[in-house]
Amino acid sequence: MTTTAPPGTDTVTGPASDRPGGLRRIGLKAGRTAQGPGLVFVVPFLLVFALFLVWPIVHGLWMSFTDSSLALRDTAFVGFDNYAEAFGDPDVWSSLGNTVVFTAISSVPLVLIALAMALLVHSGLAGQWAWRLAFFAPYLLPVTVVTLVWTWLYQPELGLANQFLDTIGMAPVGWLSDESVAMWSIAALTVWWTVGFNFLLYLAALQSLPSTYYEAAALDGAGAWRRLWSITLPQLRRTTALVAMLQVLASLKVFDQIYILTKGGPNGSTRPVLEYVYDVGFTGYRLGYASAVSYLFFALVIVVSLVQLRLFRQED
Amino acid sequence: MFPRFSASPPAPAPGAAPDLTRRRLLRNGTAAAGALLAAGPLSGCASPAAADASALSVWDLFQGGDGMLMDDMIKAVSKGPQRFEVERTILDWGPSYYTKLAMSAAGGRASDVAIMHLSRLAGYAPGGLLDPFDLDLLAEFGVSQADFAPAVWSRTQHDGTVYAIPLDVHPFIVFYDKEAADTAGLLDSSGELAPMGSPEALLDAGKALAKATGQKGILFGHVTDTAQTWRQFAAFYAQTGATFTLPDGGPPKIDVDAAVRVVTFMQQLFDGRTNPNNLDYNGAMAGFIGGRGGMIMLGEWELPTLKKSGIPLGAARFPQVFEKPGVYTDSHSFVLPHQENPDPARRRQAHRYVAEMVKQSLTWATAGHIPAYQPVLAEPEYAALDPQSSYADAGEVAVLDPPNWFAGAASNFQNRMCQPLQAALLGNTSAEKAVRQMVREADTLLRQPNPVA
Repeated sequence: MTTTAPPGTDTVTGPASDRPGGLRRIGLKAGRTAQGPGLVFVVPFLLVFALFLVWPIVHGLWMSFTDSSLALRDTAFVGFDNYAEAFGDPDVWSSLGNTVVFTAISSVPLVLIALAMALLVHSGLAGQWAWRLAFFAPYLLPVTVVTLVWTWLYQPELGLANQFLDTIGMAPVGWLSDESVAMWSIAALTVWWTVGFNFLLYLAALQSLPSTYYEAAALDGAGAWRRLWSITLPQLRRTTALVAMLQVLASLKVFDQIYILTKGGPNGSTRPVLEYVYDVGFTGYRLGYASAVSYLFFALVIVVSLVQLRLFRQED
Repeated sequence: MFPRFSASPPAPAPGAAPDLTRRRLLRNGTAAAGALLAAGPLSGCASPAAADASALSVWDLFQGGDGMLMDDMIKAVSKGPQRFEVERTILDWGPSYYTKLAMSAAGGRASDVAIMHLSRLAGYAPGGLLDPFDLDLLAEFGVSQADFAPAVWSRTQHDGTVYAIPLDVHPFIVFYDKEAADTAGLLDSSGELAPMGSPEALLDAGKALAKATGQKGILFGHVTDTAQTWRQFAAFYAQTGATFTLPDGGPPKIDVDAAVRVVTFMQQLFDGRTNPNNLDYNGAMAGFIGGRGGMIMLGEWELPTLKKSGIPLGAARFPQVFEKPGVYTDSHSFVLPHQENPDPARRRQAHRYVAEMVKQSLTWATAGHIPAYQPVLAEPEYAALDPQSSYADAGEVAVLDPPNWFAGAASNFQNRMCQPLQAALLGNTSAEKAVRQMVREADTLLRQPNPVA
């Protein structure tokens, strides 16, 4: 039987066997004591929260109804003009579309590859620390470093990617200059760079799975695939929900790597909506209009979050 | 497998993608900090200049070699009995610089003097973000309109009032490998690049250079760049004699036939065979420095970087291939950002500072820039600068961006024009479609409400 079981589930020597079974719940008796002294400790946080989050949100909403300009002091109330303009602005729609495309093509691999990597590492490969380091290390790099390195990889004439294609006899690819390829290039960079975080979440979840299920399954003669499908993946459902949720939100917010790598080009094909907001608001000074576009995007993010929450709740 | 050029890519130009700026900023920030610290003991000032409220505050966007030269010039004008106390702030070049400049002027608490591209004036002067210069005061310090080339001076005004004093003219030019050009038979009797005169001549020159280097002819980095293709287009377009104007409210006035003719020619020139059509800025620089091309189309500000490479370097005005001479340029100019309650004595000092700084133009010219202050051009020391003097006349046929609030250096306008042009050069779209998109983009920008007036 041990011949079919992955090393990680070995009942005697596997790393999972010495984990405590199940999650322990600590019962906090909150809510019964008086709130007076506690409030004092929370006040600094509340102040910062109000000043840097609540106030900008409210102020931004107000600005979206004005013709507020970065370069002028006078502003006038313009009602829904900015929103009307945004709805009729093809650049808003194309950049929103780009954001959605990026979210779709980056989130799926970022979840699946992270899961695959975590399963591989957890299965007890030799040199655990090296795998963990290799998978997680790119996540520690700052965005500027990552994009600079990948700019050189993607260089049309001198880049490693095209030189590799050349050595295996394939035609060069316009990694950042071909409108149908550029977004994929950015997604590939993003996956390489950030998959480590999801990998870590999955790994932590895997390590907390109770070993008793596996022991029972092994006794019943379940093979490795059966255990993966019937025990591991169902047990990881909550983690997957969390990872997918965080990932979709993170991907929707994409800005830095695209701004540094392509400036939204070629021909606007990679410009995400946040870059459009930046272009309009900061380079073009039109803060009121930029706020309106931000709020449209904000609404979209909320809708996406609610839908996701709903989906995962049903699954549970 | 690995690229053969040095691991450290060349520094980007003003107008190049702001890659590497963090590193440059750090390096120059340190240099600037050093300069500030050094300025104290040098000028006999007890407290650091930055803490001195009477010090003249100046903003600029010069990093790298330009930043060092600016330091030298400030040091030079700070000497003597009538020395200046200068508090210099270096900001990162690019859209963010103009955002910050506009914000500081809108707040009324801007620096005393700032550097601005002349092409951005139309976005700043009409809305009151700049204060006008007092020409009588400048004349008192020995600088007047007669000292500047008319092509550039005409762009320093709004409604007849002067808002900018140009320091330089920095054109888009060509650099070439003298040996390759010689082999290709492109040099005249004095060893300089001979004039082209027709589109065919430049196409042939590309082929001859490709033959001479055994690799590529003319290099041009434009992929993912937000200014380069526009600079090239604007130069060729101006040579056709057609005009490009952006009247408020639209539509833009563009000679579509001339524009299509120009884009078609650009596509022929960068056909992907004799001249690569898919290089980015750093790739083109690395290619030229590595001897993989005979000529490169670039801003003159890359002169110091190219000089260091050791290739036998020649430079020339942007080749005239159509009917009229025309060179795309911009100009770093001194402006007085708007202050709510300017102190007259400080304003006087600001004028004196600007006058003294333009007189230091010879130092500035060593970086490749053409001094806007004409008396320097006549000095033998300037004529001795090689290859600067070979394109010194570019200022006379200067073509700047069409004036409007959204146009100019590091603007959305340049970025939006570059996108269809890049697609055309890469062969992803036709010249006609690219021009139609340019017209559409310009029209969209013109229809926006003006946020600075």
